[in-house]
Amino acid sequence: MTADVMIQASDLTKRFGSVRALDKISFEVEKGEVVGFLGPNGAGKSTTMRILTCFLAPTSGTAKVRGIDVFDDPLEVRRNLGYLPQRAPLYTDMVVRDYLKFVADVRGLDAAAFRKSLESIIEVCGLAQVLDKDISALSHGFRQRVGLGQALLHNPQILVLDEPTADLDPNEKAEVIRYIKEIGKDRTVLLSTHNLSEVEEACARAIIVSKGKVVADGPLEEIRAKTGSVRYVVTVDERQGQPGKSAPKVSELRAALERIQGAVRSRELPTDEKVHKIELSGAKDSDLRAEIFQLMVAQGWLLLELRRDAQSLDAVFRDLTRGDEALDRGLVYGDDTAEEDDDQRDDEDEESDEDEDEDEGSDESAEKKDA
Amino acid sequence: MNTLLTIAKREFRAYFDSPLAYVVICLSFFGLGLMFFMYQGGYWQIDRATLQPLFEYVPAGLAVLVVPVVTMRLMAEERRSGTLEMLITLPVKDSDVIMGKYLGALGLVLTVVLASLAYPILMFKFPWSLGPMDMGPVISGYVGLVLYSAAAVAVGLLVSSLADSQAVSFFITFFVLGAFWISGSMADQLEGTWANVLHYVSFQSRMTGFMRGLIDTRDVVFFLSITVLALVVSFRSLERRKWA
Repeated sequence: MTADVMIQASDLTKRFGSVRALDKISFEVEKGEVVGFLGPNGAGKSTTMRILTCFLAPTSGTAKVRGIDVFDDPLEVRRNLGYLPQRAPLYTDMVVRDYLKFVADVRGLDAAAFRKSLESIIEVCGLAQVLDKDISALSHGFRQRVGLGQALLHNPQILVLDEPTADLDPNEKAEVIRYIKEIGKDRTVLLSTHNLSEVEEACARAIIVSKGKVVADGPLEEIRAKTGSVRYVVTVDERQGQPGKSAPKVSELRAALERIQGAVRSRELPTDEKVHKIELSGAKDSDLRAEIFQLMVAQGWLLLELRRDAQSLDAVFRDLTRGDEALDRGLVYGDDTAEEDDDQRDDEDEESDEDEDEDEGSDESAEKKDA
Repeated sequence: MNTLLTIAKREFRAYFDSPLAYVVICLSFFGLGLMFFMYQGGYWQIDRATLQPLFEYVPAGLAVLVVPVVTMRLMAEERRSGTLEMLITLPVKDSDVIMGKYLGALGLVLTVVLASLAYPILMFKFPWSLGPMDMGPVISGYVGLVLYSAAAVAVGLLVSSLADSQAVSFFITFFVLGAFWISGSMADQLEGTWANVLHYVSFQSRMTGFMRGLIDTRDVVFFLSITVLALVVSFRSLERRKWA
C-alpha cells in the first residue's frame, strides 16, 4: 500500500443477524480523489461508511484510514475524518454557532483555531445568515450545510459524506454539490448518493455497490462503457392510429418493439398524456431508430416522439444493480420498476414523476434496516 | 477528560435550551413546598426543628418524577434522531459519551436537590430563625440525597440506553425507581428471606440512616455500587451497537 491511499477497505463483511449487509467489499481511495459511492437504498453504502467512521465494527475484513486500522485506533481514525451522516442529524435545540462550537470543543480546537475555521466554513458553506438561528428552525438544505460545516471544522484531509443531497430541492442540491466540488479541490472525499447526475458533476470516479458487493469501480468513462445498452424512448398515440388504423394496446406495442432485431427489453414509462410511452433497451452501439419508425408505419400507429439516449450513467447504474431492491425488500416488483430512484428526477425530464409511492416505501424500509 | 466535560456541559445546557429544566425545577419546588408545609399538617405538625420530612419527600419526588423525566431522553432520543451517530463519530470514547451524559443529567438533578438547601438556610439561618437547628442530620441527609441521586440517574441512563423511545424509558425508570423505593415498606408486610432481600435493596431503608444523621459505609457502598453497575451496563449497551 502506498502512502497516498487515504481510505482502504479490504474484504469488509458485515452481518446484521442473518442479513449480510456487506459481502467482502474492497476498494481504495487515493489522496485528492472525489469518489462517488453509488448504490440503491440498502446496498450497504451507509454501513460501509459507518465502518469507516468506527461507528460499527465489521464482522470480518479490515478498513484503514490513512493507514490506521479502525480496530486499532478508532479515535485517531475519527480525528482524521470529517463525517456527515445520512440526513444530517443535528441537535435541533441548539443554535448553529453553539453547535459548531460544541463540535470544535469535542475535537479539541482552541478558540483561535475555531474562529479561523468558522470563518472559512461560513464562506464555503454559506452559513452567514443562519449562524445565530436555532437548528430546529432551519430548512433541510441549511441543515445539510451545517452538517457539512461541522465535518469541515477541523480541516480534515478526508471527508465521508453520506447522501449529502438526499431530500433537498434541486436548487439546494446544486448548491451542496458546488460546495462539495469546492471542498474536494484539496481533499479526499467519499460521497455516497443515489443521484447519478451529482456523481457525474462532482466526481471523477465512482464505486457502485449492489447487494453488499462492489459491482463496478473506476473512472466514470470506464463504468459508462462497461455495460452496453442503448435506450430509446418511444411515444405512441393511444387514442388513434393513422387514418383507418386503430391505436395499439400497451402489451401489443411492447411485444412488437421487443420483436425488433437487437431490442433487449422494454418497459412502460408513466405519462400524463394520452399516449403510450415505452422505454426500449437495445444492444450496445445499436441504432434501432429506423426499424422502430418502419414498424410504426407498417402497423399504422401514430409515432409522436422517438429519442435515442446515448449511454447514460443512469442506465449503467440500473443495469448493474438490477433486481437488488426487489430481493432486499422481500418484494417482487416487475423487472422494470425496481431500480428507479427519486433523485434522478431533475435531470431526466421525461421520467420526472415516476413511482412516487414506491420510492417513499423504499426509503422507509431502508431506514428500518439501518435502525 | 476534556471531551467528557464538553459533552456534560452540552447535555446540561440542553436542558435549559428546552423548557424541560424550568418546568422540572419550578414544579418540583412547588410540589415540595406543598408537601413540606401543608400535607397532613406537614412540618408544623411535627413541632420540632427538623428537616426529616424534606428527606422523605425529596427522594420520593426524585424517584417518581424528576429522574425519569430528566434521564428519559439521554440516549433514547439521541438514538432515535440519529444524533448519536454524529456524536460518536467525533473523536470521543464511548465511555466519555456515557459519563458526559451522566454528569449532565446528574447536574440538573443535583441542581434541584441542592436548591432545596434553601429550606434549612431560609428557615433556620436567615432571614428567619425558627429555633436551634441540629445541623448533623441536615448534612448527612444531603450526603444521602446526593448519593441517592447519583444512583437514580445512573439507573435512568441505563434504562434510556436500552429503551427505544423516551416514553418507554420514562415509564420503566419510573417503575424501577418507584419499586426500589417502596420495596422497604413492602418488606414490612412479609417475612423471611424475601423480606430481607426487599429490605436490603430498598432505597428508602437505605435513606433512613442518612436522615437520622448516620452515614453508614454500607449505605454509601450500596448507592455507589448501583451507580457503577448501571454505568458499566450502559457503556456496554452503547458498545453493543458496533456488533449487533
